[in-house]
Amino acid sequence: MNMIHNLPWLFLLLPLVVAAIDWVCLNKHPRLAATLSLLSAAGTLGLCIAYLTGLQTGTPDTYTWMPSSLEQLNLHLGLLMDPMAMRMMLVVTGIGLLVHFFSIGYMKGDSSNLSRYYAGLSIFMFSMSTIVLASNLAMTFIGWEMVGFSSYLLIGHWFDKDSAADAAKKAFITNRVGDFGFLLGILLTLGLFGTMNFADMSGKAAGIAPAVLTVTIICLFCGAVGKSAQFPLHVWLPDAMEGPTPVSALIHAATMVAAGVYMLVRLQVSMGAEAFTETACCIIASVGAITAVLAAIMAVQQDDIKRILAYSTLSQLGYMVMAVGLLAGEAAMFHLYTHAWFKALLFLGAGAIIVCCHHEQDIWKMGGLSKRMPLTVLCFMMGTCALIAIPGFSGFFSKEAILEAALAKYPVFFWVGAGVAALTTFYMLRLCIVAFMGPAREHGAEHAKEAGFTMALPLLVLAVMAIISGYGFIANDLVPANGFHAHGFELGLPFYASMGSLVVGILLAVAIYGLGGRTKDPLAGNCISKALRNRLYIDALYDKVLIGGLQQGFAHLMQFLDSYIIRGILCQGIMWLTVRIGYLCSWIQCGSLRAYTLITGIGLVILVLLLAFQF
Amino acid sequence: MNIVSTYTWCQFAPAFALVGLAALLILADALLPRLPKRIYACTGAVGTFVAAYYLYTGSPSNFLGCIAAIATGLSLLLAFDYKKISCESIAGAGNEEGTGEFYALPLVACAGILCLTQARDLVMLFVSLEVVTLTSYVLAGYFRRNQGSIEAGIKYLVLGALSTGILVYGTAWYFGMVGSFNIGPEIVLSALKGGVAGTPQLAVGFMLATALLFAGALFKVGAAPMHVWIPDVYQGAPTPTTAFLAVASKTAGFIVLCALALPFAPFCAPGSIIGKIIVWSFAIIAAATLIIGNLGALRQTNLKRLLGYSSIAQAGFIVVFFLNINPLMVNLVGQYLLAYALATLAAFYAIAMIRIQRGSEEIAAFRGLGKSNPRTAFLITVCFASLAGVPLTMGFMVKMYSFVAAITAIGNWCGICWLLPIMVITAATGFYYYFKIIRAMYWEKAQPGEKALQVPVCTGIVLTLCALALIYLGTMPLLLIMS
Repeated sequence: MNMIHNLPWLFLLLPLVVAAIDWVCLNKHPRLAATLSLLSAAGTLGLCIAYLTGLQTGTPDTYTWMPSSLEQLNLHLGLLMDPMAMRMMLVVTGIGLLVHFFSIGYMKGDSSNLSRYYAGLSIFMFSMSTIVLASNLAMTFIGWEMVGFSSYLLIGHWFDKDSAADAAKKAFITNRVGDFGFLLGILLTLGLFGTMNFADMSGKAAGIAPAVLTVTIICLFCGAVGKSAQFPLHVWLPDAMEGPTPVSALIHAATMVAAGVYMLVRLQVSMGAEAFTETACCIIASVGAITAVLAAIMAVQQDDIKRILAYSTLSQLGYMVMAVGLLAGEAAMFHLYTHAWFKALLFLGAGAIIVCCHHEQDIWKMGGLSKRMPLTVLCFMMGTCALIAIPGFSGFFSKEAILEAALAKYPVFFWVGAGVAALTTFYMLRLCIVAFMGPAREHGAEHAKEAGFTMALPLLVLAVMAIISGYGFIANDLVPANGFHAHGFELGLPFYASMGSLVVGILLAVAIYGLGGRTKDPLAGNCISKALRNRLYIDALYDKVLIGGLQQGFAHLMQFLDSYIIRGILCQGIMWLTVRIGYLCSWIQCGSLRAYTLITGIGLVILVLLLAFQF
Repeated sequence: MNIVSTYTWCQFAPAFALVGLAALLILADALLPRLPKRIYACTGAVGTFVAAYYLYTGSPSNFLGCIAAIATGLSLLLAFDYKKISCESIAGAGNEEGTGEFYALPLVACAGILCLTQARDLVMLFVSLEVVTLTSYVLAGYFRRNQGSIEAGIKYLVLGALSTGILVYGTAWYFGMVGSFNIGPEIVLSALKGGVAGTPQLAVGFMLATALLFAGALFKVGAAPMHVWIPDVYQGAPTPTTAFLAVASKTAGFIVLCALALPFAPFCAPGSIIGKIIVWSFAIIAAATLIIGNLGALRQTNLKRLLGYSSIAQAGFIVVFFLNINPLMVNLVGQYLLAYALATLAAFYAIAMIRIQRGSEEIAAFRGLGKSNPRTAFLITVCFASLAGVPLTMGFMVKMYSFVAAITAIGNWCGICWLLPIMVITAATGFYYYFKIIRAMYWEKAQPGEKALQVPVCTGIVLTLCALALIYLGTMPLLLIMS
C-alpha cells in the first residue's frame, strides 16, 4: 500500500502524538518530553521546507467524519496544500521550533510540571497547523477551538498564581464570544454557498443578496475579532501575558493571534473579493483602525515590558485587519509574515531580559542593560527597528504596502496608519531608552548577565529574519499569499508620511525621556496617564456592565428557568417516571422460572398478533 | 420430496477445522490428563483467531462470523485468566481435573455460528443454531460447585428449550405454507400473494410462521419479549461463558434475524401493508427492548447482571436498524455489534480481574481503581464510555447510526415517531448506569487494606487493544471497511 501521498498528515499527527505521549507517559521526565516536542517541531519544519523546495507527493486523502446522506453536510478532514498554506506553515513551524528551543533555557529550573508545558506547546502546534492546513471551514473551526484550548492551558501554566488562572479564563471566555459569531458565520456560509470547502466557494457569491452577504462576512469576522483580539474583544490579550514568555512569543504574538487575519484572507481568496461587500469592508477596516489607534495609545503608558509588546501586537494586528478590510489581502499577509518574525524576536528578547533580571518585568526597574547584555539588546533593537519601520528593515516594506493600499482606497485610513506609526515609534523608543540606557535602577538589572546559548541562538536567527525577510528576493518565496510579488519601492506620499511619523516619534521620545537619565516617567501622574494605565476603563466597563449587570441578570433568569422549568418539571418528572418503570422492570425479573416462561409466552402471543393478524 | 444440497463443502471449512480442533482438545483431555489446561485455552484461541482472519480475508468477507470467532477466542483467553476460579468451582481449588471441556466446547459453538452465517434454508439455520445453544447450556452450568452457575444452566435450558420449540413450530408452519425450507424473497413473494392456489389465508399462516421464527431469533438476541432469561443467566454463568453469550451468541442471534428479515426487503417500501406490519412490529420490539434493558439496569449493583441488562439495551438499538430492511442494514448491524463486542468483552475481562483479586462482582468492587491503577481505570472508562455512547468512541458513532436509521424510518412511516423520544431517554439513562462504574473508580476511595490490582498479561493486552480500537474506530469511522 503506497501511503506517501498522505505524508502531509504528519504535520498534524506528529505534534498530536507527541503531545499525547508527553501528557500521558512522560509526566516524570520533563527532559524527554522537551526533546520529543523539539523533535516534532523540527520534523514538521523539515517537512515544510521539503514541500516548499519542491517535494511533491500527490494529493493527500480526505477523511470524512460522520458521513451523512447530504453531501454538503459531511464533515471532511482534508488538507489544503496551496502555497499560502505551506508558507504560513513555514512561519508557524519555524517560529515554533525556535520557541521550543528558547523554552529549554527559559524554563530551566522552573518548578512547575514542564512535561505539561511541552505537551501544551505540541498541542498548540497541532491546533495551529489544523487551522493553516484546513480545507474547509468546519475543520478551521475545530482548529480554532483547539488553539483556544491550548492557549488556555499555556496562559494558565502557572495556575497556582491567581492572576494567571484568571487571565486564562478571560482569554477563553472572550474568545468564545467571538467564536459564537464565527460559528453562526460558518452556518450562514454553509447555507448560502452550499459548501464549507474553500475550494468550492469561488464564484458563488455573485447570486447572493449583498445585505445577507454582509451579515455572513461580519459573523465570520467576529471569529477574527476574538482570536486576533480586535476592539471590542481585545481585552484578553494584555492579560494573556501572564503565561510564560515563550508562549507569548509563539501564541500571542506570532501565530495564533494572526490566525484571524489568515482566516479572513483565506476567505477572501476562496470566496473572491466580490463577496466582501462595501459595508463589510468598511466595518472590518474601521475595527482594525480603531484597534490600532487605541492599542498604540494605551501602550504609551505601560510599564511592564511584556504588556508594552502586547499592546503593540494589538496595534499591529489592527493594521493587518485594516488591510484585509481594504481588500489588500497580500499586504495583510506580508505584514503578518514580517510581524511574526520581528514580534517573536521582541518577545523572546524580552523573555531573555526578564530571566536575566531575575523575573523583573517593570522597565523602570531595569536600565543600563545595553552594557550588561549587549547581544540580547542588539537583537532586541533589530526587532524594534523592524517594528518602527526604519527603511531597510522588514517591517518597513510591509507597513509601506499597507499604507499604499490605504491611500489608494480610503485615504482616511492612510492618515490613521501614519499616526499609529508615530505612536509606535514613540512607545518602542521609550521602552528601549528606559530599559537599556542610563544606570541600572534596581539590583536585578545590576546583576544581569548575557543570556545562555539556548536563548541567544533563537534571538540571532530571528534578528536575521527581522532584517532580511522584507526584501523581495526572500519575500517573493516566503510570504504566505498565493503568487505574492513584492513590487518595487518608490518614493511617494506613503514614504514621506512614514518617514515623517518616524522622525516625529523619535524626536518626541528623545525629548521626553532624554538618553536614559530619568528615573520616573515625566508623563505619569496626570489623569490622562491614569486613564491609559487603566486601559481607558474598557475592562472595568465590561466588568461592571456586561459581567455585573447584563450577565448576572441573564444568569438569574436562566437560573430560574433552569431550576424550576427544566430541572423541576422536565428532568425530575421524567427521571421519576423512568426510575419507577425501572423498578417495575427489575421487579418482573424476580427469578422465578415459571414467571419467566409466562412472560415469554405472553410476549409470543403479542408478537403473533402483531405480525400475523393485522390483515 | 427431493432435497438438493445448495451448499459446497468449502463453505464450511473453517467450521470443520474448529470442530476438528475441539475434538483434538477433548481427546487430549482424556489421554493426557497431565497437560496444563492453559494450553487448551491458548490453542483454542489461536484457532478461532485464524478462523476469523480466514473469514475476514475470504470473499465475500464474512464480517458477522468474524466478530463471533474473535469473541469466542477472547472468551477462551478470558477462561485462561479465570483458571483459578474455574478450578475452585469445578473440582476444588487447584485441581484442574474436568476443566478441559470448558475450553473445547466454545470452539464447537463457534463452528455452529460459522455454519449459521452460510445457512440459506431453515434446516441449516435450525441445526447450526442448536449447535450453539446446546453447547451454551453445558457451558452456563459448568461450574458445578457454584449455585448460581447451576441455576443459570437450568434456567437457560428450560427457557432455551421453549424457544427451540417455538423455532421448530415456526419451521413446521413455514414448510406447511410454502412447501420448502428455503428462505428467499421469491418464496416470501409467492406466499404473500397466496401461493400457487391463490388463497389469501396462506399469507396469514405464512406470517404466523414468520412471527414464530422471529420469536426464536429474538430469544437468542435477547430482545423483548424474549429477553427474560438474560439477567439471571448472565449473572449466574461463569464469566467467560457470559462473555461468550453476550457477544458471540448474540451475534448468532442477529445472523439469524438478518437472514429471516432480509427476504422481506422488497416489501418494505413505504405504503405497503406488509411493510407497515413489519416496521411497526420491529418498532414496538425495539421500544420495549430499549425500555426494559435501559430502565431495568438502573437499579443493578452486580456488574454482570448490569451487563446483562446492557446487552438487552444495546440489542434494542440494533433492532432499530431493522426498521429499514435492506442489504446495507447488515453492515450497520455488524458495526454496532463490533462496537458492542469490543467494549463488552473488555468489561468482562475487567470483571474477571476484579472477581479473582477482590472476590466480588459488585460495581462497588471497582472503587479506588482510578487512584491505584490509573491506566487500567482509564481503559475501563473508555469501554464504558463507548457503551454509553460518548463522542470520539466507536459507541457514539454506531449509536448515531442507530438514531439516523430511526429518523430515516420515521421519514417513511410517520406513525412510529414515538420511537425517537424513547430512544433519546433510554440512551440518556445509559449514561447513568454505565457511569456508575466510572464513578466508583474515580470518586470512591479504596477501603483500607485494598491493594492495587495486578493486571494479568492477557487482560492488560485485551483491555488496551479494545480501548484503542474503540477510540480509533470512533475517530476514523470510515476506515472500517466491510463488504
